[in-house]
Amino acid sequence: MRYYFPLAALIITSFLNSAISQGVIEGRVYDSHTGESIHSVYIISNDNRGTVTDENGFYSFKAGSDTIGIIFQFIGYKSEKRTVNIITDTTRLDIAMDMDIKELDQIVVSADRTERRVAELTVSMDILKSSDFLKNHITDAQELITKSSSIEVLDGQASIRGGSGFSYGVGSRVLALIDGLPVVSPDAGNIKWQFLPLENIEQIEIIKGASSVLYGSSALNGIINFRTADATSHPETRFYAETGMFGKPQNSSWKWWNTSRIFSSASFSHLRKLGHNDIGIGLTLLSDNSYRKYNDEKLARLSFRFKHRNEKIKGLAYGLNISSGITRKTDFILWEDAEYGALKQDTSSVSELTGTFMAVDPYLSFDKSDRFRHDIRARFQLSDNRFPVRINNNSNAYSLYAEYQGSFRISDLLSITAGAAETYSNVRSNFYGDHEGMNFAGFSQFEVNPFHRLKLVAGLRVEQNSLDKKNDRIVPVFRTGINWQAAEYTFIRGSFGQGYRYPSIAEKYASTTLGSVKIFPNPYVDAESGWSTEIGIKQGVKLGKTTGQADLSIFMSKNSDMIEYVFSNYPDPVTGLFDFGFQATNVEQSKVYGFETEFSLNFSSGNMNTILSGGYTYIYPVEFNPASNSNTDTYLKYRRKHSLKLESNTFYKKFQFNFLVYFKSKILNIDDVFLNEMTREQILPGFYDYWQDHNTGYLLIDEIIGYKISKIITASVAIKNALNTEYMGRPGDIQPHRNVSLRLSGEF
Amino acid sequence: MKNLTLLFIFAVLFTTFSCNKDAESERFKLLTTPTWSSDSLLANGADASGPGGFLEDFKGDAKFNKDGTGYFGIYEGTWRFAYDETQIVIETDSLPIPLTTQIAELTASSLKITTSFPNIVTGIPIKIRMTFKAK
Repeated sequence: MRYYFPLAALIITSFLNSAISQGVIEGRVYDSHTGESIHSVYIISNDNRGTVTDENGFYSFKAGSDTIGIIFQFIGYKSEKRTVNIITDTTRLDIAMDMDIKELDQIVVSADRTERRVAELTVSMDILKSSDFLKNHITDAQELITKSSSIEVLDGQASIRGGSGFSYGVGSRVLALIDGLPVVSPDAGNIKWQFLPLENIEQIEIIKGASSVLYGSSALNGIINFRTADATSHPETRFYAETGMFGKPQNSSWKWWNTSRIFSSASFSHLRKLGHNDIGIGLTLLSDNSYRKYNDEKLARLSFRFKHRNEKIKGLAYGLNISSGITRKTDFILWEDAEYGALKQDTSSVSELTGTFMAVDPYLSFDKSDRFRHDIRARFQLSDNRFPVRINNNSNAYSLYAEYQGSFRISDLLSITAGAAETYSNVRSNFYGDHEGMNFAGFSQFEVNPFHRLKLVAGLRVEQNSLDKKNDRIVPVFRTGINWQAAEYTFIRGSFGQGYRYPSIAEKYASTTLGSVKIFPNPYVDAESGWSTEIGIKQGVKLGKTTGQADLSIFMSKNSDMIEYVFSNYPDPVTGLFDFGFQATNVEQSKVYGFETEFSLNFSSGNMNTILSGGYTYIYPVEFNPASNSNTDTYLKYRRKHSLKLESNTFYKKFQFNFLVYFKSKILNIDDVFLNEMTREQILPGFYDYWQDHNTGYLLIDEIIGYKISKIITASVAIKNALNTEYMGRPGDIQPHRNVSLRLSGEF
Repeated sequence: MKNLTLLFIFAVLFTTFSCNKDAESERFKLLTTPTWSSDSLLANGADASGPGGFLEDFKGDAKFNKDGTGYFGIYEGTWRFAYDETQIVIETDSLPIPLTTQIAELTASSLKITTSFPNIVTGIPIKIRMTFKAK
């Protein structure tokens, strides 16, 4: 009997609770502008009950009292608060969420290896949206990247804020990634730009500065992460077909062709959800006759993606991405001469290449957004270079990359991201010799939020490389950063990061002759290392219908033992006989000081919408004496002090007008071998005199006009290098003169 | 998790303080300690140190400083080891390109280096052998 009373009281209390206040609140959360469902939105009531929205934006939870306050929170959106009176068993509450200032609230993943608002980063990042570069008739990732204010790509070699010079295309100090997985070739350590799947890219994230803590060797100078698009609730199809031709070069004596130099490309991509599956496919075909003799290219690229969300275990997803491509091309290496043959390749260096590439990326993720996320990812990458004429330069390489990453939200105060990665690479080549490489790394990053609006980040990585079973030393690298939201739209940041790059197999072992240029191997070339630091401020702008942001940063980097190809008299490693040529050497000690400003403003008026954006970067790149640590008077090679980009995009009814201006100042210094009386004519005939007259910086203007023919189809015309400016990248590499292209594109 | 984090930090500290990449090697000490005096300067097997000789300007003292600077006869410039310290590369404004030399012998009292250098007139490389004694 004594048990009956409490039991009865419990039953009565439960009954009353359920009768009075156990109503269910349910609904859907969606983007107020697009109507798209938003998943993983936090929904928290004032009595500490809550849930998150599912993949279709739906939520449901039991209310704890008659009247409750609910807050809806999601990164990149303004929080929504509601007070709800529970008067029925089920209360429907749909929420439309507004994005905050778009430029501040873009979601990125590269900087901290987990989703973050761009305004809250501790490092500088550029974001390129696919919608931006597709409308500018850009078919090549290299062209896209080099047309940023703070980045230059010299013959395939990317340099961010002057962090890298030009070392003949090998050993990139900027790491390219597709969805966070490295895509650098295992042999030359370079970026295979032509195989990056632009047809299925959602956005490109560029971190400026040493990023080795999160991404390891090769991220010494920064990273470029190509993020592929996820399927949305509506199937999405995009396509274009384009053709164009080059005009006459400014120097008419360089014109060598009688028939038009034509380039064409076509692309198709489709993404859709099928039940719990996401499926995507992309295809690009390209043919370029080129404005230069013996520099043509044909390319086919195919990508496929599959993702399955487990219906029984919420948050579990797995899938497979495949990127592949084949190209037949002739790279341009040495010109014939400056007077008549700057657009003709010297026949001694002509070598046709058939290159194939494939990357297969299986992955598995388990995501409990409010607590943890586990990712297991891998990439099997295969590349094959065949030179029908110079078969000794053939190479075949494959690599297997695998990583585990765990992200844990310990409390509101602390989050931890940690993981381990492994890369195995195997190269078979007469050019480099046969080699096997291994890389092991462990990384960890801590994010602390000690106060509201303040974020501190610190990360460590320990990495070891081995080549042909010989272990290199264990390398620890460190990074730290701070971000403080000083006002509603004002974010102040500071960061320091160490960088590191292990030499590529090409730098150690390449041995060949290209025209009059001989390359010597140097198996003793050592790793490069350095650090970069910056402080910056990002200011959001919201004035009436004008929104946008401005960003200012001051930065510095210091790198030691940077590898350059040095011309000298070298003994042949086999015969011991001396000959002249290039060898990779740890020779450059570099410091780069600079500042950068970028902005983006969005104006709306009636039927007209204009986006004005741009950036200016100033650098002072100088060598230093490692013994005294004092700067010398020598500028670093292949750097420019000033670079500027301005872009205006205007949409008016069915018309679209894009106007782009690029300016880069002169190259401050180049390899002595191109200027030295003893060697210059042998390598690049006529270059010395040309350089004296033409190394003056350049101004480029691109114009694009588009017209929306129907809801789906847009026709556009692009005039690139409208001023027909004559300009050069690395020595002997004359860049494209004026060209016109017509494109039909569609999206539905 | 806490233990893993501590282990990670210890590993980093250990590797940070256990690596001393800049330690001076035996060859570095042998080369930079004495001032060297030219003993024989041969071009294609014949003495080239006399007046008007191809190696006349290398005659005299040579010093390889620890900070990478130095003087080599009348030339002032920089030097560095290369190829696992089997080569010495000398750069001066007076030479058209960096001069790579192979170390044939390096002891506390003797330095012998060989190289070849272009003869701009004939185009045929000149084989050079230079011997120095410690002063």
